[in-house]
Amino acid sequence: MANIALNGLVKKYGSTTAVHGIDLQVKDGEFVVLVGPSGCGKSTTLRMIAGLEDISGGTITIDGRVVNEAEPKDRNIAMVFQNYAIYPHMSVAQNIGFGLYTSKLPEHEKKKRIEETAKILGLEKLLDRRPSQLSGGQRQRVAIGRAMVRNPAAFLFDEPLSNLDAQLRTQMRLEIKKLHQRLGTTIVFVTHDQVEAMTMADRIVVMRDGHILQVGTPMELYENPQDIFTARFIGSPTMNLLPAHLAEKAGRTVAEIDGLEASVAVPADYAKAASGSEVFVGVRPHDLVVGAEAGEGSFALSGAVSVVEPLGPETLVHLDVGGTSIIASAPGKVIPQAGQRVTVHATPGSLYLFDKKTERALCRL
Amino acid sequence: MVTASPAKSSRLWDGMSLRQKRVLWAWSFLAVPILFYSVIRFWPTLEAFWLSFTDWNLLRPASFVGLANYIRLVNDPLFWQVFRNTAAYLVIGTPLSLLISFAVAYYLDRVTFMHGFIRALYFLPFLTTAAAMAWVWRWFYQPVPIGVINGFLSSIGIPQQPFLRSVTQALPAILAPAVWAGLGFQVIIFMAGLRAIPSSYYEAARIDGLSEFTILRKITIPLLKPTIVFLVVFSSIGFLRIFDQVYNMTFNDPGGPLNTTKPIVLMIYQTAFKSMEMGYAAAQTVVLFLILLVVSLIQLRVLKDR
Repeated sequence: MANIALNGLVKKYGSTTAVHGIDLQVKDGEFVVLVGPSGCGKSTTLRMIAGLEDISGGTITIDGRVVNEAEPKDRNIAMVFQNYAIYPHMSVAQNIGFGLYTSKLPEHEKKKRIEETAKILGLEKLLDRRPSQLSGGQRQRVAIGRAMVRNPAAFLFDEPLSNLDAQLRTQMRLEIKKLHQRLGTTIVFVTHDQVEAMTMADRIVVMRDGHILQVGTPMELYENPQDIFTARFIGSPTMNLLPAHLAEKAGRTVAEIDGLEASVAVPADYAKAASGSEVFVGVRPHDLVVGAEAGEGSFALSGAVSVVEPLGPETLVHLDVGGTSIIASAPGKVIPQAGQRVTVHATPGSLYLFDKKTERALCRL
Repeated sequence: MVTASPAKSSRLWDGMSLRQKRVLWAWSFLAVPILFYSVIRFWPTLEAFWLSFTDWNLLRPASFVGLANYIRLVNDPLFWQVFRNTAAYLVIGTPLSLLISFAVAYYLDRVTFMHGFIRALYFLPFLTTAAAMAWVWRWFYQPVPIGVINGFLSSIGIPQQPFLRSVTQALPAILAPAVWAGLGFQVIIFMAGLRAIPSSYYEAARIDGLSEFTILRKITIPLLKPTIVFLVVFSSIGFLRIFDQVYNMTFNDPGGPLNTTKPIVLMIYQTAFKSMEMGYAAAQTVVLFLILLVVSLIQLRVLKDR
């Protein structure tokens, strides 16, 4: 069980800085997911926690002990790699037992631990197999087993599901989450897949270009993204952003969508916070519904349907609205024809206002 | 009839299935090397087997003598001397060259400073002709004031060594440049093998707290096994066929002093082209072939996955 704290953590490769002094507190037993596009510094951060990369600045503290100079083995952590890193020349049992190679446990105790671990992961019938005889999901479980068998204070996962096919990924996602609920060990998990982050995390850390943009629970990030990047990164399909500008209309501040008739009222306090009059109005595809009743104060857009993607429970409708392409949704059985003109409505409170210059979120509308 | 033949053959071609056409194409391309190898390699090889049972000496037609050449070989003390020499080249040369080249590759793999240059330096001897190299090494082995090695030894107070003039030191003295010459190739192959091991294997082991030596023993070497098998077989064949190093370094008395450095190939060469005893030389060749075959098969069997 471990708390992990990063304070002003910096990583430099020569003159390029990969991680720009980030701060993060991971509580004991928490499942934290670092998410971001490739090159955002998430893997580097994880590798610094593991001790595989030197730290250029700041500190990493595990359970109150600064481990900047500690060898990986002295940090009491275990890591699961993207390519599993299980050894092809060893059996499943040997691979799992390899995590105990340096431990001073008696032989029968080691054997017991290996068997217990295999049982938890459903590998007990495969202990004598070689990795080449296993499926991708089983190999991943062996890698997790090798990490688990040592009873580490924290697990570090470096994109462990990226090499699996879509179906297996969904399944392993669930298994890792269950495992966390069962073991209660601190987990730091790195992925570029926001779905993995949303489904598994207690808290998500959104990273870009070596900075942390936002930290929060999945729903906090989804409901209240603090900037455009997070707003578009979390949630699928991504949020629509409509360029707009702030204007005075009949004594009230409104955001007028550029090139369209549509506008939304903006509370005066928030309008003042904007750095200029240029803004974005954001709306998630799931809040922009084809064929919804136009209610009091609802936001309406109309355009021609360009592409329709029926998914079963819902249909994604791509619209051309005054030259801007946006994504809306329709109930499953409603499948508009391409070329058809439709009007979509969003209920009040489901819109977001972003400052164009600073890319920060201003308020929800 | 003459005009009908192309039409007929094109009908034959059209009538063939895609698979048959593909097979025909493949064989028409393969025909050239197969023909070449049959005439240049396989036929003379088979011919050598036949010759080993004759007394051919270039002057009179070969006549069958049965196993006479082989019986002579078994009773020839020179053959057993040469056999021991060749075995010494193999038994010392192969492990020594593999050990050195692995050590070089293992550490060179971690060096980034002037990596390409150092690698090129190791590879250079592999590109140099054996004759040129042998003459340089002969010069190294000279007594003072010419020889570099003896010069160094005397400067630190060690008496001069005879090297190529000694019946005990000559073979190791020839083996040294032979090992050195092959090093570059082996280093490159070992480095390619090392590079193919994913770095996460080492990182996982580091997190598990394994020492450098344990990682080497438990991970690196087992994963390098295919590379090691290849190099053991390849280098063994090289040492069993050693010739040019010996011939050039003992130029005045090839295989000397007193035949203590003579390998089988040199004996074959001398039997065939000095004594002109083609039948006897062929018998020696067949024996060498059998030794190569047996050694390679044993190595493949021992080193293959158990």
